[in-house]
Amino acid sequence: MRLRDTLATATKSLSHARMRSFLTMLGIVIGISSVIILMSIGQSAQDFIIGQVQGVGSNLVFVVPGGSGDSKFSAPASTQGIVIKTLVPQDVQALTREPSIKSATGEVRGLETVIYGDSNVNATYEAADASIFPMRDFATQKGFPFTKEDVAGYAHVAVIGYKLADTLFGAQNPIGKSIRIKNVSFRVVGVLESKGLGPLGVDQDNEVILPITVAQTQLAGLTYYQDLIIEAQPQYDINFVKDRIISVLRQQHGITDPNKDDFTVRTQADSVALLGTVTSTLTIFLTAIAAISLIVGGIGIMNIMFVSVTERTREIGLRKALGATDGEITQQFLFESTILTVAGGAIGILLGALIVTLIWLGVTRFTTIAWSFDFPLSAILIALFVSSATGIVFGLYPARQAAKKSPIEALRYE
Amino acid sequence: MQVISVRDLTKEYTDTDPPTRVLKGISFAIEQGSFVSIMGPSGSGKSTLLHLLSFLDRPTAGTYAFNGRDVTTLTDEDFARIRNEEIGFVFQSFNLLSRSSVYENVEMPLLYAEKVPATERKARIEEAIASVGLSEKLNLPAGKLSGGQKQRVAIARALVNKPSVIFADEPTGNLDSESGAQVMDILDDLNNAGHTIVLVTHETYTAEFADRIIRIKDGTVESDAPIITRRNSKNAFFK
Repeated sequence: MRLRDTLATATKSLSHARMRSFLTMLGIVIGISSVIILMSIGQSAQDFIIGQVQGVGSNLVFVVPGGSGDSKFSAPASTQGIVIKTLVPQDVQALTREPSIKSATGEVRGLETVIYGDSNVNATYEAADASIFPMRDFATQKGFPFTKEDVAGYAHVAVIGYKLADTLFGAQNPIGKSIRIKNVSFRVVGVLESKGLGPLGVDQDNEVILPITVAQTQLAGLTYYQDLIIEAQPQYDINFVKDRIISVLRQQHGITDPNKDDFTVRTQADSVALLGTVTSTLTIFLTAIAAISLIVGGIGIMNIMFVSVTERTREIGLRKALGATDGEITQQFLFESTILTVAGGAIGILLGALIVTLIWLGVTRFTTIAWSFDFPLSAILIALFVSSATGIVFGLYPARQAAKKSPIEALRYE
Repeated sequence: MQVISVRDLTKEYTDTDPPTRVLKGISFAIEQGSFVSIMGPSGSGKSTLLHLLSFLDRPTAGTYAFNGRDVTTLTDEDFARIRNEEIGFVFQSFNLLSRSSVYENVEMPLLYAEKVPATERKARIEEAIASVGLSEKLNLPAGKLSGGQKQRVAIARALVNKPSVIFADEPTGNLDSESGAQVMDILDDLNNAGHTIVLVTHETYTAEFADRIIRIKDGTVESDAPIITRRNSKNAFFK
């Protein structure tokens, strides 16, 4: 039988049972579109998260207290709620002396109520040296960043994110006004330009940047740092700088056994790799769940094909009597199941594309999130492959059952 | 020339206990261009014989030569090809695809005929449909036709591949006498045009359209005799 004839015969048979064909296809449509949507959103989310991390600056190195053992992916002790006081100002001074390091600062963070007049807002404060501004690419839209001298002189000054400025001051100019955090007054000297989400998911537009000295003593009451941020000299390889930081800190902390490090050093590349692993694992996991619906759809196809084979017993007998070989009968039924799944797959891809586009439109229109439109080619190829494979795998058994029918029995069948 | 020649044809079903011997050594030959009726009461084995002769089943023992060639050792694929190229079927219950058009029904054997070029198909189908007088029903779904018209479509389908033999299994069994007469008329015309026809029936009346009747009883040939005055619709009681 010619391919064209097989195709035409199969299409005709399917169109004789339109409603059934459509409902059977629906399972595949839903399965494929779910897979497409999840793969696409997973890719967008991954791009977004990695973009955020990279946006912080690619030559930054972070030091957090506590060792993380052998794996670079296991969490340092400090992130598990254990207070570790080993990162101190002397570490920063020692690091700053390193030729490969451009600047270094310790940081303290906290969530506090920020008050101006009658308005008060819960906001994150991030306290660091003045070098934090160039390091993190913080530019001011009003006023200026605080200076090294402000930090050294325990000046009560603050630079605030633009959204926070809007909330607290409305139409007023915040520069020169005083805000209160934990009953300590700070004079606003600068307002940051829009920056979006920062590392750890903090909204940098709602942040307060304070001099580390004042925040340590008067807000947090700490003598140590919660983390260090280090900017490498651009001409040095980032991994070399990372090694230098490790050896300086070991020297400072008197550590001889590398397994007993009381700190963890992470470059941006490490963070990106870590986040990449997390998001792609999540994507695979979600896609696998969506794939279950494809299996269910496949079983639906098999079920309907069995019904169809039984219903069309006489037709099968007739076709065999008229000269169809077992192979031709198998082929015809396989074509029917595969047409159903491939058509379902194609509709699923289109539906998935539509929904992904709507999500993209919604996110970019109604939020400030830099959501990329990702419709990975691999998703389309996988969808087409999976849908045709589903048709063949789940159609084969019923098709073979059809071909095995004896024409005499089949013609007698009522 | 002999189209069909069977010798000691035996068929035994072993899936019953005790095994059923339906055919117990049947021998005869059918000449090209003849019109043979196979008769017998139900259970006589005439349907089984038809299945063997038309390549739908295989004998347990005996030889079968078709167009001078021994076919007992052929494969299932060979059987399918012979059914397609050399044999036309007309069934008691028509066996048309009711939702497909007359044209599509008649086209079916051609779908499996690789020797017939696609370009020749349309002409062949239209010719076959014209020969049973249904040209104006070409695009009608087969389910919308009357019984007699359905059987005529089935005959057109049997003709379309230009077979050596047409097997008709109780072709008038489901028809009223007028439609039955029309169908027999067409078979008669086909025979006059040179087609070999093997008719299976239990009605003596229908059987007498043939030029020879083979009677089967209990799995053996009871009698095999020519008909001196062959019936046809022009001389018969039909009108």
